[in-house]
Amino acid sequence: MFDFKPIRKKSPWILHYNAGSCNGCDIEILACLSPKYDIERFGVINTGNPKQSDVFLVTGPVTFRSRERLIELYTQMPEPKVVMAVGSCTCTGGVFRDMYNVENGLDRYIPVDVYVPGCASSPELIIDGLVKALEILESKTKEIEKPFKLFREASLDNTIVNRRNSALKVGEDTTDDEKN
Amino acid sequence: MIEVILIIVAPIIGGLIYGLERVVRARMQRRQGPPILQPFYDMLKLIDKQALIVNPYHSILGIMHFVTLWVVVAFVVLGQNLLYIIFLHLLSAIFLIIAGFSAKSIYSHIGANRELQAMIAYEPILIMTAVGFYMINGSFDISVIRNNTSEIAGLFLIFLAFLMIIPIKLKKSPFDATEAHQEIVGGVEIEYSGIFFEFLYMAKWLEYVFIYLLLMLFAGDSLILGAVLSVTVFLLVNLVDNSTARIKMKHLIKIVLGIGLSLSMINLIGLSYV
Repeated sequence: MFDFKPIRKKSPWILHYNAGSCNGCDIEILACLSPKYDIERFGVINTGNPKQSDVFLVTGPVTFRSRERLIELYTQMPEPKVVMAVGSCTCTGGVFRDMYNVENGLDRYIPVDVYVPGCASSPELIIDGLVKALEILESKTKEIEKPFKLFREASLDNTIVNRRNSALKVGEDTTDDEKN
Repeated sequence: MIEVILIIVAPIIGGLIYGLERVVRARMQRRQGPPILQPFYDMLKLIDKQALIVNPYHSILGIMHFVTLWVVVAFVVLGQNLLYIIFLHLLSAIFLIIAGFSAKSIYSHIGANRELQAMIAYEPILIMTAVGFYMINGSFDISVIRNNTSEIAGLFLIFLAFLMIIPIKLKKSPFDATEAHQEIVGGVEIEYSGIFFEFLYMAKWLEYVFIYLLLMLFAGDSLILGAVLSVTVFLLVNLVDNSTARIKMKHLIKIVLGIGLSLSMINLIGLSYV
């Protein structure tokens, strides 16, 4: 059987999601894709489509309102996949830590493979992080990874499915923990 | 025998063209660009990815799109009837549109809608091209067209109209509103993943082969002229792709039908009086 694993790191397609970032890290990610740093030479394409991506780049401290989309995007990505937390906010919450609208970093919601520090993290650092992420991607299996905080049961609002506030909050007592 | 080999390796040739194009485009922007074999790495990676199926018909129609396009390329290589080939090519596009409408995603619907509108724009010009070839050669058969001398002087206006529809078929700026990766995330291909997306990805390569094979018909029996035409058009299309912005669907139809169709009509009227 042909071994596909070495091929994986030759064509990482990235999905970039802004979970409440100040746009500093987003600009640095886009700078990576621009002619000066040109990460397309590693085969990177910024797909913008979770169903066709391998690397999930998240920026921002994960605000309260963005966490549902975050988990939805994460669950829509097919395996194998890696998650990169780009920027100090995404790693720990940064200067926004313990604010009322902030969830203190990405790893409280989904498993993170690579942490890229810096405010904003420089393109060189992002490229280094990406290379590290590709090593991890190569060793991953196709076993399905799950986010730590899954959705609640969708509530019906006038016979329309209401998705608002459907992601669990951090520290919320989950009744269906065993199920997940 | 050589035809059979050509038909079998057609997707690989298309992949090489696509890889070369990405390098050329990168060099035009003064960057290094991916390796030429990058499309094949993508392809092998997509085989390995987990496939999420929206509904079975959606996935099957994607495969049908690829298979029909391959048949189209095979018929062009074998020298069959040009008019049949164009209608078969229409069928392959229709499979993709039905697939786009079969998923519930709104982006998929918008993509399928735009694909239909683009079809309205390019299909008359393709048929006009076939009619132009018929008026000069007296036959729709590609084998007859290939054996006659080059008619690019007599079909020059049709050739210009054909140049206009190449960016639509290859999803290039300024006519790439059907795919529009930054706005509607690829349109019809949004719900495909894993091995099913791969068929769409490879269908894109076959589209390259199809378009460049049709372009070679303008060169007639002269292979050198065909090669010159292909290389020139390849560079021109990439230059235009790099230097123009995307235009709206409405303007696409207006420009392509307004200029392209009138150019080919003038050419056909001229041919009927000669």
